[in-house]
Amino acid sequence: MSTAPKTVQSKESTLSEKGLKAGSVGLIGAVVIGVSCIAPAYTLTAALGPTVSEVGVHLPAIFLVGFIPMLLVALGYRELNNAMPDAGTSFTWATRAFGPWIGWMGGWGLIAATIIVLSNLAAVAVDFFYLMLGQIFSNPSLADLSKILPLNIATTLVFIAGACWISYRGMETTKGVQYVLVAFQLLVLGWFAVSAFVHVANGTAFDATAISPDWFNPFAVDSFSSFAAGVSLSIFIYWGWDVTLTMNEETKNPEKTPGRAATITVLVIVIIYMTVALATLSFAGVGETGLGAGNPENQSSIFAVLAGPVMGPFAILMSLAILSSSAASLQSTFVSPARTMLAMGHYRAISPRFGKISPTFKSPSFATIAAAIAAAAFYVITRTVSENALWDTITALGMMICFYYGITALACVWFFRASAFSGVRAFFFKFLAPLLGGVILLVMFVKTAMDSMDPEYGSGSSVGGVGLVFVLGMGVILLGVVVMLVMYRLRPEFFKGKVL
Amino acid sequence: MRYVVGYTANARGHDAVHLAVALARNQDVSLDLVLVIPEDSPFNAVYPPEAGYDDILNQQAQRWLDEGLALVPDDITARGHIRRGDSEAQALIDAAVELDAAALVIGATNGGLFKRFTIGSVAGSLLHSSPVPVALAPHGYQRTDAITRLSCGFGTRPGADELLDVAVESARDRHLPLRLVSLLALDGGNSLTLADAAWMHAADRLAAVGNSTPDAPLPEPEIVVAQGRTIEEAVDRLDWEDGEILLIGSSRLAQHRATFLGSTANRILRALPVPMIVVPRDYTRQSS
Repeated sequence: MSTAPKTVQSKESTLSEKGLKAGSVGLIGAVVIGVSCIAPAYTLTAALGPTVSEVGVHLPAIFLVGFIPMLLVALGYRELNNAMPDAGTSFTWATRAFGPWIGWMGGWGLIAATIIVLSNLAAVAVDFFYLMLGQIFSNPSLADLSKILPLNIATTLVFIAGACWISYRGMETTKGVQYVLVAFQLLVLGWFAVSAFVHVANGTAFDATAISPDWFNPFAVDSFSSFAAGVSLSIFIYWGWDVTLTMNEETKNPEKTPGRAATITVLVIVIIYMTVALATLSFAGVGETGLGAGNPENQSSIFAVLAGPVMGPFAILMSLAILSSSAASLQSTFVSPARTMLAMGHYRAISPRFGKISPTFKSPSFATIAAAIAAAAFYVITRTVSENALWDTITALGMMICFYYGITALACVWFFRASAFSGVRAFFFKFLAPLLGGVILLVMFVKTAMDSMDPEYGSGSSVGGVGLVFVLGMGVILLGVVVMLVMYRLRPEFFKGKVL
Repeated sequence: MRYVVGYTANARGHDAVHLAVALARNQDVSLDLVLVIPEDSPFNAVYPPEAGYDDILNQQAQRWLDEGLALVPDDITARGHIRRGDSEAQALIDAAVELDAAALVIGATNGGLFKRFTIGSVAGSLLHSSPVPVALAPHGYQRTDAITRLSCGFGTRPGADELLDVAVESARDRHLPLRLVSLLALDGGNSLTLADAAWMHAADRLAAVGNSTPDAPLPEPEIVVAQGRTIEEAVDRLDWEDGEILLIGSSRLAQHRATFLGSTANRILRALPVPMIVVPRDYTRQSS
């Protein structure tokens, strides 16, 4: 008896194309996913200070304006996702639209942005880890441990390694945990805002500042440079919002849930950002001394400084909220650069070793470890070079997001060029929105890049007379160009368009 | 009959395929190699999205499965299946139930350094919940020739008779010599008396089972009592044939028709040089 072996691909009918359980996410679930991807407690503590340093009291205006290019690009993103649901990401989309060279750089930009955010997430988690230790044991000297450079770097590397290990093993945050994390973050941020307003009302605020309609006027920002810097920072605070737009079969109602969830998510986020931004400005003002939001000392992590004076003994909740949300994001964010590198390795755009999948855990093996090493290296370099690494990395990150997002948006315009004028809807979603969004982002990118050459830019760190933010942002992109050229010499088949 | 083989493209998966082939040799058995790939939780959303990954993972799984099927010799029918699940153990159980499999075959190890069996997490969960017998291949199991002898470990606890039934029937169907193994851990104590008692008990049980199936042309089973200061030592002192396999019952704590590896079985597993099949409580064999 001899029967040839045969393989049966038994795909369960309840599974979506993306390997997610179909129909498992309702509207609230989708909003929770959206908010958790944004991680508002982490984004606010990381971005609020640097944005205030650029635009001062016009923070609420910039936070609102920053959403516009994000929205425009996301509309195009959604069209690409519907047209090529399996194709994936900036790398494959941009490759199909503009060819291998720009596609490669789009992929590189995305990987670089996620690597930078990984190193920043780990650093923020470490800061609040020590801060929380200090609060638990009522011993402020424990909180100061994070300022000891070797200890800080060592702890951050441990956090990165831990998240990498969890991601490599394929362990995931469950629904229950995600609900708790999101609810807790929103609750604590609300608590912070209410406490701050109570202090203002009682006259116990640090620098009570009356809210003025002018704060909401983006045109009152004193220069285009500040405006551009502010917008590229506020792109970062909405980064993650569009995740719900890429969902489909996994939702209970693929027609309506993603759009509604995106709308509710942005409402929740805007409300919480506005409330916290107004509370922070009213309580602390934008002064450059003491607790002022304009004090460079406070800007790398605003809640680390303000939570204590505002929330009193309950400041520990803020530490816990930020620590938990940044640790959860750290672990989940590892998946994206690892998978993008894996795809690039698979399509021979980089060494095929990146395309390896662990037979035991069925997760990207080489690429996950590479992402961890890159994030660790990035952190060690910025931490040793910069006086204020968190601040500068967030600014560089904003630039990087503008870069790859801009490319993706224009890829959308180019990809749909033939059908763009087939109707009003197509014209708007496939052409006008992504074109405007892409152009705005790339203009912000170029403007920020040029301004950041000034050694006084950002936290004021510089390398060889050039601003550190420029060195980080452009350095990473130039490094990408160099690696790309090396790859072209080593494996030209991808660049000759033979693979994708 | 069908056996579901929990396949992974590493040493553990190869052990499992080798054992499944050995068990299927000269039997009317076909193999279903099941490769489980993780099901992403939407609550762990990948951002920025990377939807292309799924295709790549599927292609890779397909290649792995082809490699696994290539390990199966031509005289045995084998099919491959790719399953999605957040728990590998649960996905294998689901596949076994769905395919009406008579047993699940897996590699037990995690590549432990010192013990032959360091139970991996998948094997661990399977042994706590599988409704069908679970065959565990020890680390580095290479043999693919047919099984040469069946051993059955047994004690005095409830369930021992049912296990003996399964062992006697299996040995008869497969024309294998049967050996009853009683393992005793004795620290000092009156070892001779206890060993005698164990031997007597085994003979009694065997007689009872033999009487209930009068048409059994089964060669006279061998009864051995192994002693040691620990169970592990008792296992080490026994002689094991290369082609032997040990049948063992599941713990009293097991839910009805599910396996549960008791502490004794667990210790046997760690010392055992041959494959082991853990039979669920109240299990009745599929007729072939």
